[in-house]
Amino acid sequence: MNKLPLIFLGVFLTFASSWVGLVAYPYFTLGRMQPLPDEDTGGYFPPAMSGLAVAGQRAYAANGCVYCHSQQVRLAPLSTDIQKGLGPRQTVARDYIRAQPAFLGTMRTGPDLSNIGARQPDPNWHHKHLYEPQTVTDWSIMPSFRYLYKMQQIEGQPSDDAVQGLTGPHAPPPGFEVVPTDEADELVAYLLSLKRNFPLPESPEPKLE
Amino acid sequence: MKSQSLISSFHPANEPDTLDSAERAQIDASTRGPVLLFFGSAIFWLLIGSLLGLISAWKMTHPSFLDGSAWLTFGRLRPAHLNAVIYGWASAAGIGVGIWLMARLCRVVLMHSKLLISAAIFWNLGVLVGILGILAGDSRSIEWLEFPGYATPILFISYAFIGIWTIIMFRFRKPGHVYVSQWYLFAAFLWFPWLYATANILLIWQPVQGSAQAAINWWFAHNVLGLWFTPIGLASAYYMIPKVIGRPIHSYYLSILGFWSLALFYSWNGMHHLIGGPFPAWMVSASVVASVMMFIPVVTVAINHHMTMRGNFGALKWSPTLRFTVFGAMTYTLVSLQGTSMAIPSWNTFIHFTDHTIGHAHLGLYGFFSMMMFGAMYYIVPRLVGWEWPSATMIRWHFWLAAIGISIMVIALTLGGILQGFAFYDPAVSFRTSLDLATPFRIVRGLSGFLLLAAHIVFAILFTQMLLKLGQPKDGPALFAKPSETDKEVAAV
Amino acid sequence: MTAGFLLLVGGLIFLSGSALFAFYWAVKDGQLNNLSQAAQTIFDQDEPVGTPTDRFPPKNRS
Repeated sequence: MNKLPLIFLGVFLTFASSWVGLVAYPYFTLGRMQPLPDEDTGGYFPPAMSGLAVAGQRAYAANGCVYCHSQQVRLAPLSTDIQKGLGPRQTVARDYIRAQPAFLGTMRTGPDLSNIGARQPDPNWHHKHLYEPQTVTDWSIMPSFRYLYKMQQIEGQPSDDAVQGLTGPHAPPPGFEVVPTDEADELVAYLLSLKRNFPLPESPEPKLE
Repeated sequence: MKSQSLISSFHPANEPDTLDSAERAQIDASTRGPVLLFFGSAIFWLLIGSLLGLISAWKMTHPSFLDGSAWLTFGRLRPAHLNAVIYGWASAAGIGVGIWLMARLCRVVLMHSKLLISAAIFWNLGVLVGILGILAGDSRSIEWLEFPGYATPILFISYAFIGIWTIIMFRFRKPGHVYVSQWYLFAAFLWFPWLYATANILLIWQPVQGSAQAAINWWFAHNVLGLWFTPIGLASAYYMIPKVIGRPIHSYYLSILGFWSLALFYSWNGMHHLIGGPFPAWMVSASVVASVMMFIPVVTVAINHHMTMRGNFGALKWSPTLRFTVFGAMTYTLVSLQGTSMAIPSWNTFIHFTDHTIGHAHLGLYGFFSMMMFGAMYYIVPRLVGWEWPSATMIRWHFWLAAIGISIMVIALTLGGILQGFAFYDPAVSFRTSLDLATPFRIVRGLSGFLLLAAHIVFAILFTQMLLKLGQPKDGPALFAKPSETDKEVAAV
Repeated sequence: MTAGFLLLVGGLIFLSGSALFAFYWAVKDGQLNNLSQAAQTIFDQDEPVGTPTDRFPPKNRS
């Protein structure tokens, strides 16, 4: 084992094998997948995301949500994700083709968010939760994202987008309101868009006993 | 790769080329600047990274700790910790050890040290800019690749210098056998830039669509562990263990088997981070198979190291290098076998997404790689500064704080993760219950972080003393004196 | 998907073939001879086999 070219070739080729299988192959197949047309509405599966939701992905990335939250529903019966209510079916590659990046995640310090938009469709719930999670779920260990919000004095009428029903140590005192910044609005729009409950032929809903 | 050089011979000498101590000292001295610069940088980032990790750990169990600010939110501190320890500490330490080993094993004085010093400066700059970028909110949250796009080119420039240097050294090495450590170093220094370039191009600069990103992400991240850190760690072990006890590696045949089976199987493991995920089944299955096949290189290396050490375990009493290195080598076996078990889908379904994974990651990067690097640094630094470590007591404190700290951390996260996983699996158990089960183990993890931080402070003090040649005055470098007869416990070959 | 399949199968055949060829060439070229000697390259006259080269610094100094 003294010849540099031998070692170089061997090192190159062994590595090239995994590059072909785990990089080039997904690049050309998963990377070129297209959405499926939805005959009923003329839209697509997965549905297009609003501009705010697309921007919200940046907020999701900037604040590291993926380090506590996954977005993957695994297949029954090897996994009980579906029975636990994370979603009606396994999430498959086509579910992520609009994601930039695909926040699959590898930790469930907090719950999986694949279908959080379906479980919690009210934007105000999300704003309250992001502002002070413990006021919504008292045993939560999620940190507060109140830095995405502005506390301001109410001038005349309360703002339309003021967060309703805030309690806890950082609740606005009388005469004040909490208003989301653009980043908070984008993040919540993104969270509301997280619904993988539309039908896809490659991922049928399993019949569970 | 000219076809001529494939066939033509470099005429390897049949006698191993021998060095006398003057030549060896000269080679060591030529590596002093770059290696000490990389080591110093590495230790600096180790302190920063340990602190970031400690704060992150406590934020998890006490979410109101230091909250309310964007710069200190858990979602930014945690990747800052990860990148500080991976690129700031571990990679810099590995590069430093690699440079020294390469010079020794090529048996030539280090050339172009300015290239390496520039590389060290760029590396530190890149890490600094990257970490500040993460804290500022520019991370893309792609695991192990969180540095924003304006930081990674700086690391690339640094790496280009190192890569060029590696090729030059290897090309101009003295003819003779190419030792096993050199194969591993050569491979690591070739694989890393390919990994880093692919990942940056396909995930950050021209991102590929959809779940292909996750596949490429974990191909990258797992390969940083298996094809960058592991080979450097093994290169160090294959040199330090025989060199310290004065006995050659037990079986060179096993070394060859271990090297090539690692090269072949390790790079296919990446998808085992994504079992159950949105991918064609064959990709995940291939990774599971490769994860099981890893048994071959791991057991091969374990046998080789164990048989080399057999009869010499008494040496752990008198050699700091060996203590850290053997701890690292044994942990390598343990963490790899754990990893294989975690890749089996019927077990993975329980422990995926839990703290068990975090325990495994720390066992590998700290229990194996970091301890291995500490061992190497304890051997190398005296030979560069011409001075002995000033305090055996402090070295022992470093070892025991680190060994106990990492053991507590890993046991806590492993057990906590298993309980968490069983709770996740049971449809009748609420998320709250799984959280309550994990919390006491996370608190123990947080406490262990103090032990590790203390260990690193001790080591940083020792290193600084060496740089400043502090400590009791001596009659020349005592380490070159032969150990006394009572110290010699090595079995003659 | 056939393009992907061809890529994979073709790639695997090529790589396995290269590996077998490389092994055959290595044996023929004598790469795998003298292995025990190779293990000794890290030793020399001043740090020979049988001599330890590391220790804790002494505790008591005058």
